[in-house]
Amino acid sequence: MVAPLVRGTGLTKVYGDLTALNEVNFSVMPGEVRALIGSNGAGKSTLIKILTGAITPTRGTVEIGGEIAPFGDPKEMIRRGVACIYQHSNLAPTMSVLDNIFLGRQPTRYLGLVDTRAQLKEAQALLEKHEIDLDLKAPVGELPTVKQKEVEIMKALALNARVILMDEPTGWLAASEVTKLHATVRMLKSRGVGIVYISHVLDEIFAVCDTMTILRDARVVAENTVAEANREWVVNVMVGEKLARESAQAAHEKRRPRGTGEIRLKADRLTKRGVFEDVSFELYAGEILCITGLIGSKRTEMVRTLFGSDRFDSGTLEIEGKSVSFAGPDQAMSCGVGFVPEDRHREGLMLDMTVTENLAMAMLDRFRRGILLDRAGMTDSGRRAIKALSISPPDGRRPVKLLSGGNQQKVLVGKWLSRSPRILILDEPTVGVDVGAKAEIYAILRREREIGAAVLVVSSDLEEVMTIADRIGVMVSGRLISIHDADTVQMDAIVREIGGGA
Amino acid sequence: MSNVGTIDIPRFARWAGPNALPIAIAAMFLTFAIIEPAFLKPENLIGIVRQVSLIGIMAVCTTFVIMTGGVDLSVGPVLAIAGLVSYFCLQAAMPLPVVILAGLSVGALVGALNGATIAFLRLPPIIVTLAALSIVRGSALILGGPEQHLIRNEPAYSFVGAGSIFGLPFPIFIFAFVAIVMILIQWRTPIGLLVAAIGDNERAAYLSGHRTRLTITLVYVISGLGAALAGIVQSSQVHTALATYGPFGTELDVIAAVVLGGTSIMGGNGSIARTLLGVFFLGIANNGMNILNVPIDMQLIAKGAIIVIALALAARRV
Amino acid sequence: MSGFSFVAILAMGQAFPILVRGIDLSIGAIVGVVGMVVFDLALIFHVPGYLILPLALLAGILAGTLNGVLVVFLRLQPFIATLATLAAYRGLTYSISGRQLVPGLTTTPIRDPWIVGIESYFDIGSWLGLSNLVTLPWVPLSFFIMLAMFAALQVVLLATRFGRDIYAVGGNYEAARLAGINTRFVVVSAYAIAGLCAAVAALIMVARFTTATEALGTGQELTSIAAAVLGGVSLSGGIGSMFGPVIGAFLLGAVLLGLTLQGVPQFTQQIITGAILLAAIGYDRLLLRRRQLSPGVAGAG
Repeated sequence: MVAPLVRGTGLTKVYGDLTALNEVNFSVMPGEVRALIGSNGAGKSTLIKILTGAITPTRGTVEIGGEIAPFGDPKEMIRRGVACIYQHSNLAPTMSVLDNIFLGRQPTRYLGLVDTRAQLKEAQALLEKHEIDLDLKAPVGELPTVKQKEVEIMKALALNARVILMDEPTGWLAASEVTKLHATVRMLKSRGVGIVYISHVLDEIFAVCDTMTILRDARVVAENTVAEANREWVVNVMVGEKLARESAQAAHEKRRPRGTGEIRLKADRLTKRGVFEDVSFELYAGEILCITGLIGSKRTEMVRTLFGSDRFDSGTLEIEGKSVSFAGPDQAMSCGVGFVPEDRHREGLMLDMTVTENLAMAMLDRFRRGILLDRAGMTDSGRRAIKALSISPPDGRRPVKLLSGGNQQKVLVGKWLSRSPRILILDEPTVGVDVGAKAEIYAILRREREIGAAVLVVSSDLEEVMTIADRIGVMVSGRLISIHDADTVQMDAIVREIGGGA
Repeated sequence: MSNVGTIDIPRFARWAGPNALPIAIAAMFLTFAIIEPAFLKPENLIGIVRQVSLIGIMAVCTTFVIMTGGVDLSVGPVLAIAGLVSYFCLQAAMPLPVVILAGLSVGALVGALNGATIAFLRLPPIIVTLAALSIVRGSALILGGPEQHLIRNEPAYSFVGAGSIFGLPFPIFIFAFVAIVMILIQWRTPIGLLVAAIGDNERAAYLSGHRTRLTITLVYVISGLGAALAGIVQSSQVHTALATYGPFGTELDVIAAVVLGGTSIMGGNGSIARTLLGVFFLGIANNGMNILNVPIDMQLIAKGAIIVIALALAARRV
Repeated sequence: MSGFSFVAILAMGQAFPILVRGIDLSIGAIVGVVGMVVFDLALIFHVPGYLILPLALLAGILAGTLNGVLVVFLRLQPFIATLATLAAYRGLTYSISGRQLVPGLTTTPIRDPWIVGIESYFDIGSWLGLSNLVTLPWVPLSFFIMLAMFAALQVVLLATRFGRDIYAVGGNYEAARLAGINTRFVVVSAYAIAGLCAAVAALIMVARFTTATEALGTGQELTSIAAAVLGGVSLSGGIGSMFGPVIGAFLLGAVLLGLTLQGVPQFTQQIITGAILLAAIGYDRLLLRRRQLSPGVAGAG
């Protein structure tokens, strides 16, 4: 029996009362391309960090080539042949390909002088052996992305990597470049290298992988070979059987597709070159429209243009019948649009400021008396919001960074609610939020719908979508391919569309 | 203060942390008073406040800049050129209000240019204000040459820096006035909140609909105004306008006062009131060291060391 | 020419912290300190010249290393750390100033041949046999010192692994760290090299004036940054070589010389230096923007 290149057994990682990884078994054989699939928060990044030695597991072991490997030592893992190619570039963009391949370990002669000839020889041998074509002298930053990925692969191979983890390798690649990358993957496979292919793009997984491991809620929920699986099966597994129950439950909820019938927002053929194309839809008052899809479908990029934090290249946008073109968020806000961004830490909250201050941040005008700021009014308003949103602990003076993820999100949502927006857009509103806060946020959204706001939610969480949506839109690779009424659509249809199948 | 955090930190330490500065000031005060009783003489104490007035005015006006995560290295030369501009206006027999307005405008102009370059062209504040330092200093030297310009027979102007009310030098009143205005601006207007927000998370502030670039420009204008006001006070005080006033070290004193007061150099929450504490700390330290005849060089070294220690401690707290 | 060599060497020194995404505002003050050290050693302690030279270099290296330590181990922002050391070193210059400590030394010139010898001139013209064709000016030793430093530092940057590491740390700190490079050592070394260059520059100046003043090096931080950036050393790190600072110093020197010849007053020149610096970093920022827009920059989906 051939030993697996890498084998993780019973890997568990616990942070306080959050279990990031739960008894996960994972292995890769020589020449195997194994896909690692899972939504955000399912445990993928934790697993990767353990395998690369960036963090230590609470329990479990990792074997490399049959030998138990020490934890938390990235250099050791590299030495034993585990390499990772991350989403963000791990190259020095101003240095040449050759220098990057040998980053930190250029061969030297006396006095520390780099032995360029030896370097070149070794690199060229490597390139030939693996049939990769790179201009060794070119500065890495000027190469197209797929070539940069190849440089990272060469770097790993030069270190005798036996297992290469690729984290979302095709994020920025065009279709033709993806094909090239896959050819490289197949070449590596034929040389006995094991590949862990972490991706959301089902098409690619079915094109180049042999096997798949699906993570959900910190556990391995399924393993399969690519031959025996199909797209719907994958999406169903990713999302879980709970969904069926939710579906049933949700059916009892009265849906209001198209709400009151009044069109608040109309997008017509919105296009941003290279990002999204021909997106058209209408958003009605009194409804919740959920736009779903896999990560990479460019939903965030699209909704940003509805708020003015980004611009589209062509198409039209109408808010309450008026054609608009926002140069910045302040303009969108004066048209009654509110936007809760995806990354609450980077784009949403002032972490060192208090709850009250964060809650008031989008409506300081309302507390303006001449040039003065009505702090008492701010505090009052904050207190009311804290009560209405059940923010815990109910202390307006607490710095927001001390709140739990769920409460932070409630503060962020509350900040926009206080403006009574006519159109409220939320991007992944419950990522990193505990179950209780999730339910509260759903209740908040439904309340907004009751009072006549038009709510647009971008969500990758199908459970969530089935729970709260009145209408469901599906975006795939930058195109909005369909919108369904939630009360008449079949789950399978949605799943199929997300997976990219017909 | 907040009672967040684990219970194993001794309560005294937790209380002492944020209140370290007033304690240090009190300690220094007592030490100097004991070692050298002359320290406590009213003339000396008033002298301290008068001396810190200049740096104090600049420090409270620069606090906002530092709260946005920036810095203004050009305050020294602005001080000098404002004094010069006022001098020339006086020579041209312009009425006092115009003279003062002219001086202040120079500061506002430099501040606006600094702020716009930093906010709209997104160039780094250190380098922009470093370049401004050089440009303004050069301009001051061109305008006034290296000679001293004596301000004679200008009782109204001289009152600003050398006059006194109820025995207290007038600059103290100006300092107090500016400090109170800035504190009011911070606490009673949206600007204070906005500035802290920009320093904390500029992107989030922008996405909350705020005109962040204008606000950033504004804080540099305020800083320039403060430096200009200090320049007018100083030239009035010593009856001289000189292009080399506000020499190297001035901006350091200003930054030190703000940073000692607890405002982080990285931006975010800060407090004009705490800057005042920093100003007094430095003022008392300076005065005490002078009375004890500590040589200038040691003072400079001490200042450098203080900044480093304060920053290192602050980094640890985070 | 000595002036140009002085600026060029300082600019080369300044380039190193800039290459690792930092900056050294204290470089002028280090010049001051080292100058005073030389003064004291020569006129008070009567240390022979051949010992003074290495001691001076050591002083510069130590001063630079302190900067590096503050940035790396105390994790202070480079500009604030070197602003603080700027004050401290300037103060130190006054404390150890032989001129204050021993009156009368202010008028005593340094005569030690090892030091004074730095300011010697060479008749290049006759060496090359060209004195019949054209009268070449005599070239000061400082120029050759500058050339030697240029050669040495350029080799270090472009041909050694340490040099590669500097570019790596400046270009992508995380990638360098993950690749096993001792990033802390690299950064501290960069500041130490700046200190070393400041020391050499100080020696050149002391040799020229045969004395040292407390004000030596004042204001040179701006010029060194301007020269480096003008020569293409990017503030974003990882870009530039020793050619840049030298060319930048040359350009700056040429511009200022031209202005002086035209009768433009000193003070205007100061303004122009500041303006040139602004223009240079503006252009640098533009290049950075363009670089970022090219394919391959990371982002979320």
